[in-house]
Formats: sequence, C-alpha cells, structure tokens
Amino acid sequence: MKNKIINWFLWVGLIVIVAIIPKVFGAYYVNLIVTFAVFAVLSVSLNVLLGFTGLLSFGHAMFFGAGGYGTALALKHIAGLSLLSSVGIGVLSASVLALVLCPLVVRVSGTAFAMLHLAFAQLMYVLALKLRGITGGEDGIGNFPIPPFTIPGVASFNMTGVPENFYYFAMIVLGFSVWLMWFFTKTPFGQIQVGIRDNAKRIDYLGFKVSHTKAVVYIVAAAFAGVAGSVYAIFHNLVSADGSLGVLVSFQPIINTMIGGVGSFFGPIWGTAIFQILEEIIVRFTDRVELVIGVTLILVIMFAPQGLAGWITTLKQRFFSASSHKLEKIS
Amino acid sequence: MGATTSMYVAQGIHGLAYGMVLFLIASGLNVIFGMLGILNLAHGAFFMLSAYFCYSVLNLTGNFWLALLLAPLFTAFFGILLERFFLRKMHAMGHMGELIMTLGVSLVILAAVKIFWGTENLPVKMPPILEGMVSLGGLEYPVYRLFIIGLAGVVLAIMTLLLYKTRLGKIVRAAVSDREMVNALGINIPVVFMVVFGVGTWMAGVAGVVIAPILTVFPGLADQVGMDAFLVVITGGFGSLLGAVIVSIIFGLLSSYGVQFLSQLAPVVMVGFMALVLAIRPSGLFGVKE
Repeated sequence: MKNKIINWFLWVGLIVIVAIIPKVFGAYYVNLIVTFAVFAVLSVSLNVLLGFTGLLSFGHAMFFGAGGYGTALALKHIAGLSLLSSVGIGVLSASVLALVLCPLVVRVSGTAFAMLHLAFAQLMYVLALKLRGITGGEDGIGNFPIPPFTIPGVASFNMTGVPENFYYFAMIVLGFSVWLMWFFTKTPFGQIQVGIRDNAKRIDYLGFKVSHTKAVVYIVAAAFAGVAGSVYAIFHNLVSADGSLGVLVSFQPIINTMIGGVGSFFGPIWGTAIFQILEEIIVRFTDRVELVIGVTLILVIMFAPQGLAGWITTLKQRFFSASSHKLEKIS
Repeated sequence: MGATTSMYVAQGIHGLAYGMVLFLIASGLNVIFGMLGILNLAHGAFFMLSAYFCYSVLNLTGNFWLALLLAPLFTAFFGILLERFFLRKMHAMGHMGELIMTLGVSLVILAAVKIFWGTENLPVKMPPILEGMVSLGGLEYPVYRLFIIGLAGVVLAIMTLLLYKTRLGKIVRAAVSDREMVNALGINIPVVFMVVFGVGTWMAGVAGVVIAPILTVFPGLADQVGMDAFLVVITGGFGSLLGAVIVSIIFGLLSSYGVQFLSQLAPVVMVGFMALVLAIRPSGLFGVKE
C-alpha cells in the first residue's frame, strides 16, 4: 500500500517535470526530448515484439515510415484535416501494412522472421525512393501544412509557431501510447505472448491460437511504431526515405532495447535515454554514427547481454536479495 | 539472329553472371549457417571489404590475378578473427546474440571502410585478357561475365567435392547433425568451425573481387548485393546448397530482365518472388522445417 502511494507520487512528479521542462530549458533540449520520446515509443513497440513475444524484427522502420508517410500524405492532400485524424491515418497505414504482411510473417520465427523483415523494409525503402510521384523520392515529403490542435468549442493550439505546444501534444500522444502498450502487456492476452516466447508448443496445446496471437501482437506493435513515425513526421515537418525507412531506423530501436534490457517493459525507454545522451556527447567529437552504433552493439552484447535492466537485477540480487523477486515480476 | 535476340541473350548472360555472384555470397552464408547455425549479418560487409581489398591490391601491384588470390584470403582472415574472438562467446546466448553481434560488426566494417577508403565509387579495371566480347554461334558474349560464370562453377564443383568426397566434408556434415558426438569422437570442433567460417567468408571475398570491375567499389555494395544474397538464402532455404544455386540463378535472371522491362521496380520483382515462395513454403524452397 505504501509502495503504491510512493508510485503515485513518482508518476505525478514525472508528469510535473515533463510539464515544466519547456519553461526551464531552451528549444534545443525540448526538441531533443521530443526525439527521445518518439524513439522511446518506437523501441517499446519493438520490444512488445522482441521482448514479450520473442520475434526479432530487423525491419521495424517500415511501420515507422508507413506512419510518417501516411500522415504526411494525408496532411498534404486532404485539406482541413485535423491533427489527431492525421496521426490516426498514419497509425492506420502502419496497421494496414502489418495486416497485409502478417499472414506471411506469422508463419516464420527466429532468424527467418528477422531476415524477412529486413527484406520487406528494404523493399519499402526502395519503393519510397523510386515512386517519386507519390513519395518525392530522395527529397521526401516536406513542408506540408500542420493544422492546429483543436478541442471543438474549447480551445485551439497553434502547432507551427510555438515549439512548446507541439511538445505538449507529442508528449501526450506518446505518453498515452506507452501507457496503452503497458496496459496491453498486462492483459491476459498480453500474457499469452510471453507464453509464446517461452514455449510456443505448450501454448498451442493449451488451446490458444499461436499464429493468430502473433498476428494481433504484430499489428499492435506496428500501430504504435506508426504513432511514433507519425509524430516524428509532424515534428520535423518532413518525412524522407533515409530518415524514416532507412536500415539505421530499424536498428536504432533494437539497440535501445538491447541497452535497456530485452523483456523489461521500461528497459527500452531507459535504453533510448542512455543512447541519446551517448550520441549527444559523441556527435561533438565524430560524425560516424554507424561506428558508434556498431561498437555499442558489440560492447553491450558482449558485456551486458541483458542490458541495463538485467544488470540492475543482478546487482539487486547480489546486494538486496530480498527485493529481487519483485523486479522479476515487473520484467 | 536479330538484334533483339542478341539483346535477350546478353541480358541473360548478365543475369546469369549476377546470379553466380549471388550464389557465391549466398553459399558462403549457407555453409556458415548450415554448419554453425549462425546467420552472419556481416557477410555482406565482408563481401564489400573484399572488393576494397581488391582495389588496394590492384593499386599496389596492378595484377588482377594477385588480387583475386589475396583479397579473399585477407577477408577470410578477418572472418576467422570474428569467429574466434567475438562469435564464439555468443554461442551460449542463442540466435539473438549472434545476430546482434554480426550486425554490430557489419556496421563497424562499414564505418571502417568509409574511414580508410572514403565514400566515392572507386573504379577497378578488369584484366585486359577478359575485356571485350567473344563471338560464338553468331552471338556476342562479354568475356568477363563468362569468366564469372565459369569461376563460380569451379567454386561450386570444389565445394561439392570437398563436402561430399573428402574426410573433412564428412566431419563437417557429421558436425551439422550432431555436434557433441563428433566432439566426443576426438575431433576439434572449434577448429573445424573456425575453418568453415573462414571458407564461408572466403567465398564472399571471391564474390567481392569478381564483382568489383562490374559495379565499381563503393560502401553501398554491402547493402545492394549483400541484401540480394540474404534474400537468396531465405528463399532457397537456410543451409541448402541446391536451393542457393537455383534461387541465385532465378534472382539473377529476374534482376537483369526486370531492369530491362520494369527498370525502376526490379527489386520489387525479387521480393515478390520471395514472398510467393515463402507463402507456399515458409522454410524456403529447399529448406528443412525448423
């Protein structure tokens, strides 16, 4: 009971901190935090697949990109579209893409699943580059109009002029997404995923439909990656093949998840934060992003394969063994 | 024989040559996967690295044949280093660890290549003996493409003989089916693994050298050609040499005729073919169900 109260205080504190950040820090840090939130949601959505269902995808960028392109195209071509519905269109396009792919991909797992996604993501990337008429080729789609966020009859927030407004909008959308995903993993259905990860055959014997479950999880993960992509597109007022569909966009959430800890729900968020801080420091010395990502991956997998969450668990077990079982329950 | 026929034949030869290069890379991947159960994501990067080695050796000595000999060996050396010092530790962690590790290595290789050689397209001259066309039955064939097809055929023949007719091949095949038992029989499995990994990367290296004069050498090589090779392995079935041969040739032809008829959308045809195969047989054309 006491823990619960403390938890509530922590959550309220976090919300207050998120709320006052733009008042305290400058625009640069506000943008940094929006980027962080976008990639945190992308990483958490990947972890729903990877950590909870045991499906490693090397092509998560295609859902991110589908969300981004969906939103950008909708805002460009449909006049008078509201902000939330444009995000909704992005989410819908990512989900539809997942829906189209899922009959094929749920039949495989492990390495084949990973490689299949690499291939499909590459296909999406090539398509985005080649179909110039729709996607703008290398230039991508930029400078689309961004509507204000309106609550009918109450208020209207302008998104373009004031960076703060967009910050709050992004934080609410992304925070809500994380909350939904957390909720999703706690449902009985979400627990079946963990069962599939650990022993698919047994889940099958118990009478659950493994492929169908995988398909639903897959679509949910894709939808939230779409949310991230959509917000990212509005944030930059630009969606491009390299920025939203490139291979590095697929690898980024994997790295974040690895750093934070696979299978822990909040691990990827911590991982994203750590990586972003790392990148922020390293970029001042070198601009070789691949090298940084590659070396980070190698070091993490060699020395901390369970990521930060696993590392903390080990530490806790060593020093405070009484509280260790609680942490396991969370992860 | 009209001009159209000769164009089709030329495209066919181009496709076949590209297919053979894909086969070299894909079978290297397959040998490693079949034996060690590792999908080496750095394979494409090794392929590209070998093309760069070829460029450097050619710059230093001017001899293409020396480059063909040395560059794959250098590449194999790096492959062995990767297996010995990085991948071996990953084995206990299962596929996830190996995939992440090889992914990290491929990114590091990519970055290293950009540091040492820059990002420009580096031209590689083909040896004068292989330039030009040869006339056969009223049709013109580019010599270099025929050379690639021949070389890949020789490598395929050697691989088959090695795998099915020698003692080493027997050990390798036995180790694929029961690693512990072979180890218990007194055969040093780690060394065998290292050799197999070296052979696999060597094949990628050969492919890297032979493709260098056609495509020039640039960092995107790993993505462009390496990705096709991964598609071949997925479509043909993991670990299947026969699947790799057939699907490589199909992919090569699809890509060359695809470029001719659809130009922009050629990659779509390949992925479409892969999707079709996987929809019918999830484990690939000749793959064994996991």
